[in-house]
Amino acid sequence: MSDVAGATTTKRARRGGGGRYGRLGQVVNELDDRLGVAKGGRTFLDKIFPDHWSFMLGEIALYSFLVLLVTGVFLTFYYVPSSALVTYHGPYLPLDGQRVTEAFASTVNLSFSVRAGLLMRQMHHWACDIFVGALVVHMARVFFTGAFRKPRELNWTIGVTLLTLAIANGFLGYSLPDDLVSGTGIRIAYSIILSIPVVGTYLAFFVFGGNFPGTAIIPRFFILHVLIIPLVILGLVGAHLALLVRQKHTQFPGPGREENNVVGSPMFPVFMAKTTGYLFGVSGVIALLGAFAQINPIWQFGPYDASRISYAVQPDFYMGFLDGALRIFPSWSFMGFGHTIPFEVTIPAVIFPGLLFGLAYAWPALERRVTGDHAIHHLLDRPSWRPKRTAVGVAALALLSALFIASSTDVIANFFHLSLNTVLWAMRVIVILSPFVAYPITYKICKELQGVHGAGKRKTPNLVVRTDEGEYVAEPTPAYPEDVHHELDPTPVPTFIEEPEPESAAPGVRIVER
Amino acid sequence: MRRPPLARVSLAAVVAALALGPLAVLVGAAGAAPGPFQTTRHNAGTPNSSQVTRNASGQVVSYGDKWITYNAPSPALTQLGQALYMENCASCHGTKANGVPAAGTVGAYPNLVGLGPATIDFWVVSGRMPAADPAAVQAPRRQPRLTPTQAEAIAAWVNSLSPSYPYIPDPHVKRANVATGMALFALNCAACHTIEGDGDALAYSTFAPSLRHIPAYQVAEAIRTGPGNMPRFTGNLSDQQVNDIVAYVTEYIQHPQNPGGFGLGQLGPVAEGFVALVIGLGVLALIAYWIGERA
Repeated sequence: MSDVAGATTTKRARRGGGGRYGRLGQVVNELDDRLGVAKGGRTFLDKIFPDHWSFMLGEIALYSFLVLLVTGVFLTFYYVPSSALVTYHGPYLPLDGQRVTEAFASTVNLSFSVRAGLLMRQMHHWACDIFVGALVVHMARVFFTGAFRKPRELNWTIGVTLLTLAIANGFLGYSLPDDLVSGTGIRIAYSIILSIPVVGTYLAFFVFGGNFPGTAIIPRFFILHVLIIPLVILGLVGAHLALLVRQKHTQFPGPGREENNVVGSPMFPVFMAKTTGYLFGVSGVIALLGAFAQINPIWQFGPYDASRISYAVQPDFYMGFLDGALRIFPSWSFMGFGHTIPFEVTIPAVIFPGLLFGLAYAWPALERRVTGDHAIHHLLDRPSWRPKRTAVGVAALALLSALFIASSTDVIANFFHLSLNTVLWAMRVIVILSPFVAYPITYKICKELQGVHGAGKRKTPNLVVRTDEGEYVAEPTPAYPEDVHHELDPTPVPTFIEEPEPESAAPGVRIVER
Repeated sequence: MRRPPLARVSLAAVVAALALGPLAVLVGAAGAAPGPFQTTRHNAGTPNSSQVTRNASGQVVSYGDKWITYNAPSPALTQLGQALYMENCASCHGTKANGVPAAGTVGAYPNLVGLGPATIDFWVVSGRMPAADPAAVQAPRRQPRLTPTQAEAIAAWVNSLSPSYPYIPDPHVKRANVATGMALFALNCAACHTIEGDGDALAYSTFAPSLRHIPAYQVAEAIRTGPGNMPRFTGNLSDQQVNDIVAYVTEYIQHPQNPGGFGLGQLGPVAEGFVALVIGLGVLALIAYWIGERA
């Protein structure tokens, strides 16, 4: 009897109980007996994460995405994805009795008549803005520090795809309430699809299920927005993080930090505490914004109707550069052979973003080819060490910022009492000049920074000393001991107890321990 | 030569006056006991569409319906109005208000005769006239230089030269339907003034002004008279519809309901993006800077 029991229990079970970790340890032991989580779990808990603050920018994106999922699920309980017309009756008088789509009516209802509905809607929208913003900032950090270099090109590609999907899904979600402002956005999107030469018309009819606006877009956008794209994003986020764990995090060079090690805090307990706190920080900031700052008040816009339009309509910020490009592009088009190619739409809204994202995808390969650097890099660059790359990045950001500003030409003209036409022409000049001005300035600043002694080190005070002769002399104090180069003495990481592999029973057959 | 947009208004007004002149004569000829007036699509805002009150000498004192009452400027103010006109307006619009300026001034100034009291009142009471810069493409709304009574007096004197319509409207916004008002606002006004009523820049230095701080009767005046580049809404909007729009503007555009928190100036995605990036992302980056390493 005891032999049979001994054969079916593990060493740890025989040692008895949960050991010094009490009931929790017991639970974990039970799990380990069945799933063998100890070995992988040990590796995972010992995972080292470098501590630099800029490495947490990606976490903002991750956690705002979590907030998006949770608030989004809440919204689906009340939102009705339908273009069917109903008469709205509710507490907001200016809409009472208007004929609106079910999509619009349900969004207004969930804002006014569902407990916490407006809070959830606003948190969802703020989380979206912060999500896309964090993706951009995180991407900039990765770009300027060279973290995309070999072996992490694949993760860079996944990241660019995530940004594209996030922008697309943001636009779809912005369109779902079917209000006056978002309807105008869909109309622009329809025209952009139409402008693609040869296939544009077919493609537009395929996407919209007929002519604009039709009744198919709301349910189609809905299923794309709440299921298909989020699933793809979720999968890619998983792959992104899995690659991060597999390839280990990059680190800035510093004392004791080499290409072949990772210096930082272990997953448990330091990083876990930090990142959990940060999760609460991100969701807290989003909740505060959702509670105190109004976003997208669709009841003030009213329902969409193709015969109505509001002036001064801008998209959410992440589409701003496209809107700006459309606004300032001269009205060139080709007409002939029974076809019209509206270059004024095709170039700024199809070709330009295509080139932009194409460049982003191709950048790691381009840089490898130009520099001839095929080595594996785990240590990051300071931006000033790579003046050309940094200058290209800043030039691209300058161009995008100029285009973003160009999306509010009317607001600028109105605010500064200028002629709209003057502002338009000024923005054309500024957009074209911005990268060419930004590049040399950035390059020069980087070159100058390279020559600065002690850049990136903490400043130490100067002591002003009066000598016996009455002369005053400023003497620099010695550097902080932590800033002086020295080897780290890491605490020893506990090693696994390795048991010798049993001998094979026969040649070619390998026995693997469970 | 640069033509102020008012010149176009005056042209339209002359045409309107020519059309309305015979009508006014007909109304006068109808005597002290006018019959019920027919409402047509083309005479909204004039006495022809509504109930009329006359004084002893048969002049129309007020007209309108249960939605808007149009009142003539008080005739007692005519003398004062003439003096104020000569002081403030005559240098450009001429001593006969016919747009022929005093010698030594340049430019084409609109003829004011026959524009109707609402037009005169609106331009003066909104501070656009007397113009700070007569050569400006569009006169901006300013702190008015004349009081509402003085504006009414000038309107009374100009109107005494050639009586015409529309009179100064008094919309009864309490009776209005704001839902109709919102729908009509989205259809007719939002294309320039924006759906939030902030106003915005239009082409070549013209602009649609903000509707934030405008009294109800001035909103009605603007709709009925079409100042500057604004279309003159007469035939296509009934008094009831104008009243609905005025009510929506004064009750909701000017006092937007912001149950979601700070309205961010009703500026839409530009302000929202700013808040999300600077406040949202900025605070989170600061938290990261706080709990992260800064070497």
